[in-house]
Amino acid sequence: MTTEALVAPGVLPAKRSGLSYWLWSYGAMLRWELTNTRLILPLLVLAQALSGAGLVLGFGLLMPSLPPTIAAYLVTGAAVVSLIMVGTSVGPQLVAQQKIEGSYDYMWSLPVPRSAAAAAWVALNTVIAIPGMLAALLAGALRYHVHFDISPMVIPAVLITLITGTLIGYALSHAIPKPEVTFLVSQVLIFVIFGFAPIAYPAGNLPAWLATVHQYLPFVHMADVVRSSLVSGLVTDVGHSYLVLGIWSLAAAAITALVLRRRK
Amino acid sequence: MIGEPLDGPWSFRATDVTKSYNGGKTLANDDISIEVHPGEVFGLLGPNGAGKTTLVKQVIGLLKPTSGSITLGPYDLVDDPDVARQLCSYLPQAQMPIDSFKAQEAIIISGAIRGGPRDQVLRRANEMITALEIEEWRNTLGTKMSGGVRRLVGFIMTTVWPGKVVILDEPTNDVDPLRRRLMWQQIRNLAQDGVAVFLVTHNVMEAEKSVDRLAIIDEGRLVASGTPSSLKTNDRGHVRLQLMLSPGAETPPLPEFVIRDTRAGNNLITVIDESAAATGIAWARDQMVAGTADEYAIGAITLEDVYVRLTGHASAAEFDL
Repeated sequence: MTTEALVAPGVLPAKRSGLSYWLWSYGAMLRWELTNTRLILPLLVLAQALSGAGLVLGFGLLMPSLPPTIAAYLVTGAAVVSLIMVGTSVGPQLVAQQKIEGSYDYMWSLPVPRSAAAAAWVALNTVIAIPGMLAALLAGALRYHVHFDISPMVIPAVLITLITGTLIGYALSHAIPKPEVTFLVSQVLIFVIFGFAPIAYPAGNLPAWLATVHQYLPFVHMADVVRSSLVSGLVTDVGHSYLVLGIWSLAAAAITALVLRRRK
Repeated sequence: MIGEPLDGPWSFRATDVTKSYNGGKTLANDDISIEVHPGEVFGLLGPNGAGKTTLVKQVIGLLKPTSGSITLGPYDLVDDPDVARQLCSYLPQAQMPIDSFKAQEAIIISGAIRGGPRDQVLRRANEMITALEIEEWRNTLGTKMSGGVRRLVGFIMTTVWPGKVVILDEPTNDVDPLRRRLMWQQIRNLAQDGVAVFLVTHNVMEAEKSVDRLAIIDEGRLVASGTPSSLKTNDRGHVRLQLMLSPGAETPPLPEFVIRDTRAGNNLITVIDESAAATGIAWARDQMVAGTADEYAIGAITLEDVYVRLTGHASAAEFDL
């Protein structure tokens, strides 16, 4: 009678809910996610670190010497690209992989609040993303002698960037039923973020219409909040960027909740 | 729980469940009603594509019924998928995603995810690892496990801290015969502890030995339900005469006393009247002399024969003979 405690006759277990249930579930899911990725985690972290540093060093090959302001712009831009890339590209590919393996249904049959599972996912993405950001900044300091001016605002800035990016990727990967399409969409996102988002260069370099579009997309605002916390004097209206990101992160959370609650 | 009425406060009920796709053109489940009570092992049998997994996914809230209700005790599982996931443990047909996990880790973390207190989860994990004789893989990574060991680990992950209902979709797939027996013993123990065990399988021979009651579904419809012996009442007075045909042989012309027949691989299974047994044996011998068959067997009607009559399909087990 080993399961006696659970199935004692006549005792109706109440539905579990509340903060302690949420925190317990978050902890358990985080252990699951970290263990689940541990074989590839060192590789993912290394790849992120290399691409973060590589991005900065690659700029150096294009333009061997840069004015300090532009160097600071590029280096902080590379750091932000590293942060965004994990949530919008690596994360969705991991979810698509679950669908291919057939383990997706099992994961969604687990007795945890969806929001706790999503939060554990954001935490996992954070672990993968931070080294890439640090590598980009380190490479920038060594290669271009960028002078950083790091304020405590770096914590909320990095967090809101990660949460928004990861939740957008999360919502996408769950909303798209076919893993092949998820792979494709995340490739397109990489392309857009790398080439056509004013992250590592000012929005003024883009055609006017595209610059306007980016005022409503999150990427440029992610760059602005992170940049302003690392280097002073490059960004002016950071409050507006936080507002836009706040709206995006809430929208992404709402869409994620909607997608995860949806039953075909 | 032994001796208590089966129809308890924690009975699981699916009532008139219909699941349709393409605006009603495809009926994956067509008006299915079943009950599973605490303390029993209930089998849901049917050929591949009959709609078994579709039904199960509606129970745990991965799919939503087009109509009908699914309840567990006081809870409406369709309205409240969160409580469905809390109270039902599910072992899917696909292998568990445990490549990066050692067996014991996967079990302990799963117990935590299911809300089990650490010491109790650990104790029960140890008991089950020992009972299923997978001790030597306790610290082996999933990538290094055979399919059968992985299945057994998945089974423990699902039942180390079970819900009120435990749903097992083809649990014995890939498991060796010895450990299958051990697994069935654990499944029986779960029921004795008061869990309602909901077993999905297309292996009829295994189910006949292991379930208390069963339902057979085919093309989305419930075609029979009851105890294994009650389902055989229509075949009272019949016996099965089975021929192992020579490789490549055509099915021979069947004599008039054959009531029905089915072929699975080289197995030709016929159902005949008891009174025709002697004639049937003589006919089978003739087939061996003629080189059409290598051997024959005569025996009592099994659940398999009932299953074939109801679904027109031989089950997976028939190919294993």
